[in-house]
Amino acid sequence: MRGWIAIVFSAALVCVSPHAPAADMTKVVRQVFPAAETGFDPAGVQDLYSATIEQALFETLLTYDYLARPSKLVPLTAESLPAITDNGKTYTLHVKKGIYFIDDPVFKVRKRELTAADYAYSLKRLIDPKIRSPWAWLVEGKIVGLDELAGQAKKTGKFDYDAKIPGLETPDRYTLVIRLKDTDYNLSYILAHEPTSAVAREVIEAYADTAGRAMANPVGTGAYRLQQWVRSSRVVLEANPGYRGFTWDFTSSDPADQKLIAEMKGKKMPQVGRVEVSIIEEDQARLLAFQSGELDLMDLGGPLAPNVLDAGKLKPEFAKKGIKLSRIIDPAIIYHYWNLQDPIVGGMSKDKIALRRAMAMAYNVDEEVKVVRNDQAIEAQYPIPPGVVGYDASYRSPVEHDVATANKLLDAFGYKKGADGWRNLPDGKPFTIRYASRPDSLGRQQDELWKKALDSIGIRMEVQKDKFPELLKLERQCKLMMRTASWIADWPDAENFMQLLYGPNTGQNNNACARIPEYDKLYEQSLRIPPGPARDKLYHEMTKIIEAYAPWRLDVLTYRNMLVSPRVEGYRKHPILHNEWAYIDIAPKGRGAAPATGSRGTPD
Amino acid sequence: MTAYIVRRLWQMIPTMLGVVVLVFVLFNWVGGDPAYVLAGKISNQEQIDNIRRQLGVDQPYYVQLGIFLKQIVTADFGASWSTNERVSHILLTRLGPSLTVLVPLTILSTLISIGLALAVAYVRGSLTDRLVMIVCTVGLSISILVYIIVFQYVFAYKLGWFPVQGWGDGFAQNLFVYASLPILIGLVVSIAPDLRLYRTFVLDEINQDYVRTARAKGLSENRIMWIHVLRNASIPIITNLMAGLPGLLLGSFLIERFFSIPGIGREVILAVERSDFPVIKAITVYVAFATILTNLLADLTYKAVDPRVQLK
Repeated sequence: MRGWIAIVFSAALVCVSPHAPAADMTKVVRQVFPAAETGFDPAGVQDLYSATIEQALFETLLTYDYLARPSKLVPLTAESLPAITDNGKTYTLHVKKGIYFIDDPVFKVRKRELTAADYAYSLKRLIDPKIRSPWAWLVEGKIVGLDELAGQAKKTGKFDYDAKIPGLETPDRYTLVIRLKDTDYNLSYILAHEPTSAVAREVIEAYADTAGRAMANPVGTGAYRLQQWVRSSRVVLEANPGYRGFTWDFTSSDPADQKLIAEMKGKKMPQVGRVEVSIIEEDQARLLAFQSGELDLMDLGGPLAPNVLDAGKLKPEFAKKGIKLSRIIDPAIIYHYWNLQDPIVGGMSKDKIALRRAMAMAYNVDEEVKVVRNDQAIEAQYPIPPGVVGYDASYRSPVEHDVATANKLLDAFGYKKGADGWRNLPDGKPFTIRYASRPDSLGRQQDELWKKALDSIGIRMEVQKDKFPELLKLERQCKLMMRTASWIADWPDAENFMQLLYGPNTGQNNNACARIPEYDKLYEQSLRIPPGPARDKLYHEMTKIIEAYAPWRLDVLTYRNMLVSPRVEGYRKHPILHNEWAYIDIAPKGRGAAPATGSRGTPD
Repeated sequence: MTAYIVRRLWQMIPTMLGVVVLVFVLFNWVGGDPAYVLAGKISNQEQIDNIRRQLGVDQPYYVQLGIFLKQIVTADFGASWSTNERVSHILLTRLGPSLTVLVPLTILSTLISIGLALAVAYVRGSLTDRLVMIVCTVGLSISILVYIIVFQYVFAYKLGWFPVQGWGDGFAQNLFVYASLPILIGLVVSIAPDLRLYRTFVLDEINQDYVRTARAKGLSENRIMWIHVLRNASIPIITNLMAGLPGLLLGSFLIERFFSIPGIGREVILAVERSDFPVIKAITVYVAFATILTNLLADLTYKAVDPRVQLK
């Protein structure tokens, strides 16, 4: 009798609790990272792996629909998408009521509710000089009054978080009004980016280190909380018992998603109660651990792909075991750039443009795809990658591998071959192209491809090897002649890519140090137009300018191959979200059983 | 003896100064400017200057060197540039896993190598001796990387005798579950060269007059080998052993990386990849300090093992 009373009482408690946890603590998902995390302060870290954990611990105002492609913004802690007024200069958001931070001694015994002021505080932290956040650029020069506040902090040595500024107002407990200096239709994306996640001021003040960061004490409102952290080795998360949860109700017109939807529809989320992340740097160890059933989710990475994939599909021995593959093209581009301020390859005179175009044509992207990328990439045609708003799948770049035309072009513009067989500048002086790269295996392979390409058009090349920090420094100072670079989307909008050649960004992320007035004018126009055909037309024109003046040679788009163990249900790699733990489930025993430990075929 | 120890400790100062200057010059020469990495994807010169100021790398070199010396004297190397974790905490938390693998490995390797060296030296010239030497020569010709890849594949993945990788929470679980295969690989790698070396030391002693005298007196072969020969062969063995002890502080880079052991070796690689100078500085200084101390300890042990040794 007493047992029945207890059961009925417990059931009643679950029914009345506003946050009855759906997560089953026996459902464990195990993922691997190939590199170590650094910490869990949204304003303080910039590496992908820390951000992946942060996304489970903290919450932004907005997020992305799990299945919609291209990625679509949806509210997370906001009641709805922001009301954008004043020609894209004012954003108004309302935070949902009744969202609480996880319990922490800092809050004493009280429940601490998430408010609009937490988001205002978190945005201010990004520009606090003491924190030296790598994400300052997300808000710098944008929010009315914020730069002035940062300027004051530089003088006084203390950031005044209590100061009222017109750009960040909280007229009531749940409303946040953001006023911008200029029209910006991308702020919504910034509000879905994990550096803008809400942190509680009292938590930061209690746990901050000398740099003002609370790297080891993440207290958020996310679906998970940090249970164990062995730095650079293991991170264990467990479901946040106070999390409000949601019902899995995503839709997709993609036939490949229908099985996943049938598996997951209507489930209370999150289902996974525990997330175990291992850091395994070595390729072999990662793959063997996955094959041994020690892992559920693994990013395959280029070097391992030939062991597991054949023509983009799982090899039969893997498919037979029920292992699944979730494959996307990363929202990223890889490109080769020439420094437009360099005396040899830079400048806008016809002979300099001809030189860059000839080099662009001499490079064999197909060979790179096969030899360097193990067929885990395709040639990039457009500066905006797939999955990003503004991408044009039908666009075909006119820049092709054509050594004969490249040679003719050089001949026509006076780059004649000397007695030594190498071409000289139109004024007869000898010249050498200096290609900068990192001292690693990828760098060496690209050196060889470029050497081969430039040899084929009679241009002498030497390699400039340096460590990554030094290359970055020289690049920002416009002191490199040419290099291969990459850019991954911070948010899925074309502007995030097209700004890479905007003149005023020289010394920051315009690594070609390009100042092309026509391009800059079109870019500035594009900022004032919301996404749509009119903006896409401008991006087409800007792409034509890139092809004409050749500050870049577009290179490749890379695949991301996620291996998924048979016991995981509902998994689909999202191009922008770093983790999918809150959207997936673990199959009951007997359905999609994990492979047993031990011998299960060869990995190679 | 006390005067000798004090003199040796005093001599440590110029040696340590040499190490400090070398590390400082090398890092500043090849290490690169960390501010450009820490500043993020998009940053301006003002932000980079702010980071350089906070890290202290905007100071003149002599000031930075002075800060380095102060850190050594106070044993406070500050915090990691990339994670802000205190360097002292990094060293304390990473040392345990490294020692869990390397202490048993060193003890087992030493005991097995000495035992086998005595045995094969005793049957020197026999087929057994020759076979063991051939195996040792082949064994030490193979890179540790090959052992790791093959053993991890065969014993962990194929046969499932060990986990492929990982590290747990309890000492016993780590020692007997996760460290077993790394220790086995370490033994295979270290026994071959040690056995060859120790066999030579034993052979040098086994032909000495005092061995013949001991046999003439009717002492058992076991007593001759384990007491008389081993004691006299122990000085070069101690030298070899002591030379390897500072390595315990460094961990084993490859083993820790392949088996995901959160030890010092893995931390060193991370620190180098991240240009994390405070961590690199601290580990280098402590290893240099440990090397000098173990050298002193080795000299003192010679005296304890063989009273004829004079410390001057």
